[in-house]
Amino acid sequence: MTFVHQEVWHWQIATYLFLGGLGGATFAISAVLHLFEGCDRKMLSVAVMSSIFFLVVGTIFLLADMLQPLKAIYALTNPRSWIFWGVVFINFYFIAAIAYVIPLLEEWPKLEPIIRKIPQLILGLLERYNNLAALGGSAAGFLVAIYTGLLISAAPAINFWNTPALPLLFVISGFSTGAAFLLLLSTFSKNEAAYKISAKLEQLDAVLIVTELIILGAYFNFAMFLPTGARASAEYLFQSPLFIGGFFVAGLLVPLAIETYSIFFGGHHHAEKKSSMPILVASSLVLFGGYLLRMYVLKAGMFQFPW
Amino acid sequence: MARYGMVMDMRTCVGCQACMAACSAENQTPFWSDKFRTHVEDKEQGSFPDVRRVLLPRLCMHCENTPCLSACPTGATHMNDDGIVLVNSDRCIGCYACCIACPYDARYAYNGEDVKHGHELYGETVMHEVPHVDKCTFCVHRLADKLEPACASTCPTHSRIFGDLDDKSSEAHKLATSGKAHPLNEGLGTSPKVFYIPS
Repeated sequence: MTFVHQEVWHWQIATYLFLGGLGGATFAISAVLHLFEGCDRKMLSVAVMSSIFFLVVGTIFLLADMLQPLKAIYALTNPRSWIFWGVVFINFYFIAAIAYVIPLLEEWPKLEPIIRKIPQLILGLLERYNNLAALGGSAAGFLVAIYTGLLISAAPAINFWNTPALPLLFVISGFSTGAAFLLLLSTFSKNEAAYKISAKLEQLDAVLIVTELIILGAYFNFAMFLPTGARASAEYLFQSPLFIGGFFVAGLLVPLAIETYSIFFGGHHHAEKKSSMPILVASSLVLFGGYLLRMYVLKAGMFQFPW
Repeated sequence: MARYGMVMDMRTCVGCQACMAACSAENQTPFWSDKFRTHVEDKEQGSFPDVRRVLLPRLCMHCENTPCLSACPTGATHMNDDGIVLVNSDRCIGCYACCIACPYDARYAYNGEDVKHGHELYGETVMHEVPHVDKCTFCVHRLADKLEPACASTCPTHSRIFGDLDDKSSEAHKLATSGKAHPLNEGLGTSPKVFYIPS
């Protein structure tokens, strides 16, 4: 039996997986906030435009890693492949995100000349069905986020990836990075409503980080149990200082501590007294950790060959 | 229809790597980048003083349940009527999902640099004109001329026995069903069509 590090997917794919999770989750959380909480339309428009940007950049990284990116349309041929479904989900996402965000852009006077070029009938329909686009968008965002994990779990000889825990880990981590990005955005709004949203997002992110820790515990317990490539991968990660220090400590434990402190002792009701510095630090660390997680999961992927 | 397969007799393999050279010459695989469709693994087994050397020739297992075919989004990877798993290079986008899915390390990227080098080396007779993921084809073009794959016909010790696994009179069928030969990683459920007689 031989364990060999995969040399196929590198940082470009890690970036794609990170931006896919971040973009998908940012839109999904924004849409849910819109539907159930009510949120500043300006902030929502920035959030959704950013999430579209993340997905576009992520897709560029994916295409750049291909041997024949100009033939990418052929990826819509085989429904047995997760990449087929990834293309479907991402297109569904782009349609929902663009349909959702256009009415929101009316909040920006400078964009008015561009918006006015869209026929009134279409604008009216987009405005009327804005909630439906938000609902569709939350589903599309979730599917894009979970797809990133499903894609790499379809590897029968890479035991560390070929587990149901990986899509779960990636979707929860993706939503944590999405919540962290929205928290970062919320620090730019100085009104009471933004602070309320910020408080909700902090609670959401803390719950997501705790869930991520539980999944990580189960995942590594599984990986360390049998003498397979999964154990070799887990041991590799335990010996990687940047994974332990960067992802686990700085990307999970430190933001969880900051957010927990802020939730219980931060005093959200006194907007004017609250510093945004802890939120900035915690959110940036979550985003940094999210990238490192994908980078190291890819690096740790080991084929278990029978020879 | 035939169901082509191969039996590797590890008792007779001497690790001369003539199979690799023959395959490379026949299929223009990029040896200059150290990429081959077939390899001979040279492994040590056991711990001192109870050690031995094991030579394991390997190539695409042409699995019946093909993880690479499922992973390929474009349909470039397909199985022909004879059970041979092939890659349509014009259809391949080079996403590497098949390389990740293959449990037998049977695929590699014939990248832009390799294509360029191939053109320089082979001129008008070049076989690989676009970048794609490449793998063993059981020399499907030779089979059409009733010839064995290059590796099997070159092997000086008759370690590679090729034939129709459904043809009861073929040597490959007899060895594959003899009980002596087993596929690699049977537990994965891929049902490979390459079998091994251990040394």
